[in-house]
Amino acid sequence: MSETKMVSLDEMDEQLIQKAEAEGVETMWDRKKAMKAPCGFGEKGVCCRICAMGPCRVSPVEGKGAQRGICGATADTIVARNLARMIAAGTSAHSDHARDIAHVMHMASRDGNYTIKDERKLLSLAEEWEVNTEGRDIYDVAHEVAEIALNEFGKPFGTLKFLERAPEPRKKIWRELDIEPRAIDREIATIMHSTHMGCTSDAESLLKIGMRTALADGWGGSMIGTVFSDILFGTPVPRETEANLGVLEEKQVNIILHGHEPSLSEMIVMAAQDPQIIKLAEEVGAEGINLAGMCCTGNEVTMRHGVKIAGNFFQQELAVLTGVIEAVIVDVQCIFPSLTPITDCYHTKFITTSPKAKITGATHIEFNEEKALESAKSIVREAIENFKNRKKEKVFIPQTKNQATLGYSVEAIIKQLDRVVNSNIDPQGTVKPLADVIKAGVLRGAAGIVGCNNPKVKHDYSHIEIMKKLIANDVIVVTTGCAAQAAAKAGLTSKDAAKLAGKGLQAVCELVDIPPVLHMGSCVDISRILTLVGETAKHMGVDNCDLPVVGVAPEWMSEKAVAIANYVIASGIDVFLGVEPPVMGSAAVVDMLTNKLEEMTGAKFFIDTDPHKLSAMMLDRIEEKRAKLEARLGKEIEYGITRAEEEEEGVKELA
Amino acid sequence: MNLFNVIYAGSNQALSAAEGLLKQAIEEKGRDHKVVFPETAYSLPIIYAATGLKMTTLADLEGAIGVVKSLIVEEPRLEQALNAGLATAVSAEIIEAIKYALNETPYDAPCAGHITDATIRSLGVPLVTGDIPGVAVVLGKCPDSETAAKVIKDYQSKGLLTFLVGDIIDQAIEANVKMGLELRVIPLGYDVTSVIHVVSVAIRASLIFGGVEPGKLAEHMEYTKNRVPAFVNAFGPLSELVVSAGAGAIALGFPVITDQVVPEVPTLLLTQKDYDKIPATSLEARNIKIKVTEIPIPVGFAAAFEGERVRKDD
Repeated sequence: MSETKMVSLDEMDEQLIQKAEAEGVETMWDRKKAMKAPCGFGEKGVCCRICAMGPCRVSPVEGKGAQRGICGATADTIVARNLARMIAAGTSAHSDHARDIAHVMHMASRDGNYTIKDERKLLSLAEEWEVNTEGRDIYDVAHEVAEIALNEFGKPFGTLKFLERAPEPRKKIWRELDIEPRAIDREIATIMHSTHMGCTSDAESLLKIGMRTALADGWGGSMIGTVFSDILFGTPVPRETEANLGVLEEKQVNIILHGHEPSLSEMIVMAAQDPQIIKLAEEVGAEGINLAGMCCTGNEVTMRHGVKIAGNFFQQELAVLTGVIEAVIVDVQCIFPSLTPITDCYHTKFITTSPKAKITGATHIEFNEEKALESAKSIVREAIENFKNRKKEKVFIPQTKNQATLGYSVEAIIKQLDRVVNSNIDPQGTVKPLADVIKAGVLRGAAGIVGCNNPKVKHDYSHIEIMKKLIANDVIVVTTGCAAQAAAKAGLTSKDAAKLAGKGLQAVCELVDIPPVLHMGSCVDISRILTLVGETAKHMGVDNCDLPVVGVAPEWMSEKAVAIANYVIASGIDVFLGVEPPVMGSAAVVDMLTNKLEEMTGAKFFIDTDPHKLSAMMLDRIEEKRAKLEARLGKEIEYGITRAEEEEEGVKELA
Repeated sequence: MNLFNVIYAGSNQALSAAEGLLKQAIEEKGRDHKVVFPETAYSLPIIYAATGLKMTTLADLEGAIGVVKSLIVEEPRLEQALNAGLATAVSAEIIEAIKYALNETPYDAPCAGHITDATIRSLGVPLVTGDIPGVAVVLGKCPDSETAAKVIKDYQSKGLLTFLVGDIIDQAIEANVKMGLELRVIPLGYDVTSVIHVVSVAIRASLIFGGVEPGKLAEHMEYTKNRVPAFVNAFGPLSELVVSAGAGAIALGFPVITDQVVPEVPTLLLTQKDYDKIPATSLEARNIKIKVTEIPIPVGFAAAFEGERVRKDD
C-alpha cells in the first residue's frame, strides 16, 4: 500500500456530493449552507429556554448588555446548565443502549437466539459481583448478573459497582469530590432536576453534577454495554477487514447496518448467513449479500465478525447516493432523519427497527428481541426483494477502500503484549509490557482519539492529521467510533501504517505485531480505553492522571461526545476538543474547564479548532506529564525497588 | 530516571573521552601517525560500515569525531537514543584504535582485544550452520566468581560463543573457567570500550558474509538484527557509559539483560535478578533455540570443549 493511498482523505465525498448535485438530491452540506451563520447566543451557550418566562439570552460579554436572565440566572449558570443537560442526554443514550443489552442477556437461553458466547468473561464478572457460580447453570448465572446490572440503573442505595475497577487514588478523588455516581438513571434525573428553573445556580456545582452523571456513563452505562456485549456476542479478537464506500458490491445485495445496538446487528449478521436467505438472494439475481457497517453498530459487527466498514457518520447519506444500497437498517442514535427524503430518490429502503427511534417516512419493522432471528430474517428479506428495484442509471460506487486490522479489545491487546513477555521474568496476561515502554520512553504516551464528524471541520481531516502527528512522535493511538472508521478508511489501522510511526512506536508495532492505531470498537467501547488506562495506572502504582495519556475528540458533534469528554476528564485524563463546545459565553465556566478542573480531577480541557495546534498541545502535555512521572518513578528506581514490585511482595507476604 | 537522558549522558562521556584521547595522541605522535587494527581488511570496521570511509591516520579520526557528534541528537525519542548508542560505539572504536596506534600490543593474555578477520571467517561456518547457536557478550561484575562461572559455563555447554568484558574476566579465571577461542570463551579486555571488539565482529559478519556495502548503516543494522544471534549480559552497577553502549547493542538488534533495576523495554532491555535464569532469559529474548540431547554424564559435554587440551597436571 502506498503512503499516499494510506492517508488520502475522501475524494469520494466530493464525487458523491457532485452526484447529489447533478441528481438534485439534498445532502447535509446543502443544509449546512442553508443554516448560514449560526446564532452567536446558542453557539456560546448563553441562550436559555428551560421555562416559559424565556427564551432568555444574556450577553456573552461580561458587563455589557443583558447580564441576567429573567429569573436572574447569570451567563455562568446558563452555560453550565446547558452543558449539564448535554451530558445528561449523552449519558441517557449510552445507558439506554446498555439497558437493552442487559435485558437481552436476561433473556438469553441455551437454545434461544441470544446465547452466552464468552463464558469466561461472564464468570469473572460474576465473581467480581459476588454472584455464586458453583454448580450453577451458566444461564442462571447470566440472568442473575443481568439483573444486578439492570438494578444499576435505578438502585436506591450505594454507588455503581464498576467504580471499583478504578485505581485507588482515583476512587479517593471521586469520593472527596462527592461525584461517585449512585444509580445511572438517577444521575440523569438529578441533572434534569438541578437544571430546572430556580434550582442549581452555581457553575462549579453544575460541573460536578455533570461529571457525576458522565461517570455514570463511562463507568456505568457504557461499561455495562461493552462488557455485556462481549459476554453475549464474544470478546473481539484481531481480524482483517476493509473500509470505505468501495466495499459496496455492484452485483450483491448491499445492506447498510447503521446505528448502535449490537443486539440487532448481530442477528442481521446471523440472518445474512442463513442458507435460505442466501438462496433468496440468488433467486433475485444477486451474487450474494454484502453487509456493510456504518457508525457504531458497524464498529460492533466489524470488531466481532469482520463485517466491512462502509463509512462513518458523514457517509450515511453518501452511501445511499451510490444507488446500490438495497436497505439502510437502523436502530438508534446518530441516524439522519434526512435518510427519508434521500432514500426516496433511490430504490433504497430505509428501515427503522426500534420503538425508541421512529422516523417519519421510514419503513418501520419493529425488531422483536423475543424472536430475534426470525425478526432479523424478515428485515433482510425486505432488503433482498428490493434488489430488483435498483435504478441502474443511478449506480456509482467510488472505488476506494483500505485494508484494516481491528478487533483490539483489552483482552486482545493483552494477548498481543504476551508475545513480548520473557517467560523467565514475568507472567503472561498483564499490561506490564505497555507500562514498561511508556516508563522507558520508547512510547512517549498514548492517545485515545474518539468522536464524530462535524461540518465545522473538513470531514475526517482533523482525525487523520492528529493521528499522523501523534504516531510520528511515538504516541500510540487507540481509537473508537467514527474516529476509528476515519482511521480505517485512511489505512492507519493497517499494520503497514507502522512505517508512518516514529522509531519507538514502529519498534513496538513490530514486536507486538499490531498497527500503530488500534481500533478498540464503538463509542460505548471507550469504556475499554478506561479499563486499559486504569490497569496500566494500577500496574505502575499511580493514578490515571499521572500517566502521559490524552483523550481527543477532533470532530465531535453529539451530546454523547460531551458525556464521554466529561467522564474522561473525571477519570483523570486530559481531553482535547477540536470543536468549540457551547461554553464560550461564560469566562468562569471556560476557566473551570480549561484550568481549575485540573486541581479537582488532575485533568482539564484543551480547546483548539486547528488540528495541528491541538496535536502540538497534546505532545507538550504528554511530555509535561512524563517529566513528573519520571521524577516520581526515578526516586523509586534509585532505591532499587519499583512500587509495583513492592505491591507484589506485599501480596506474597499476605499469602 | 529518564532512560534516554542516561544514554545521552553516556554518549557524551564517550565522546569527550575519545576527543581527549585523540588530542593527546596527536600531541604525542602527530596527525599523520598511522591508525590500524591488526589483520583486518576493514580498517576501523564500525566506522567503515557506517560511513564507507577507511581511517588511516589520527587526522582521519578527527573526522570520525564529527560522525559521533552528528549521531548525538538529544531528543526524547527512541530513534535518537539508539543513534546515540551507535555514537558510543563509534567513540569506543576511536578509543580502541588509538590504543593500537599508541601501543603495538595494547592487550596481553588473557585479553584478546581486537579479533582478526581470519578468526571471524573461521567462526562464520559454525554460525551459519547453527553449530554456534548464539553469541553472548558478558560484561561487568557478578556478585561472586561462582555465579560468573555458572553463567559462562552454561553458555559454554550450550555451544555459544561468549565474550567477556571487565571484572568478570578475573572472576572467570578465579573460578577456573577454561578460556580460549577453541573453547568459545574469549576475554576481550577490562575497559568498557573493549566491548567494541565484539561489535566489530558482528559488523564484519555483515560486511563479509552479508555482503552489505560499506556506508549502508541501516542495512548493516538490519543484517546484525536478523543474522547475528548476539545478546548482552550486563552485570553489576551500570554506569551511564555502559547504558549508552547498551543502547548501541539494541540498535544492532541485540537485547540487553541485566541484573540491575532499569526501566525495562520488552524483549530489548530486561532485568533478571535470578542468575540461574540469566541464560534462559537471554536465549528467549534473542529467540535462540537450542536442540539439546542431554547425555547423563558427570562432565560438561559440548562442541565448545572440542579443542580442550588436557594438561599433565589435570
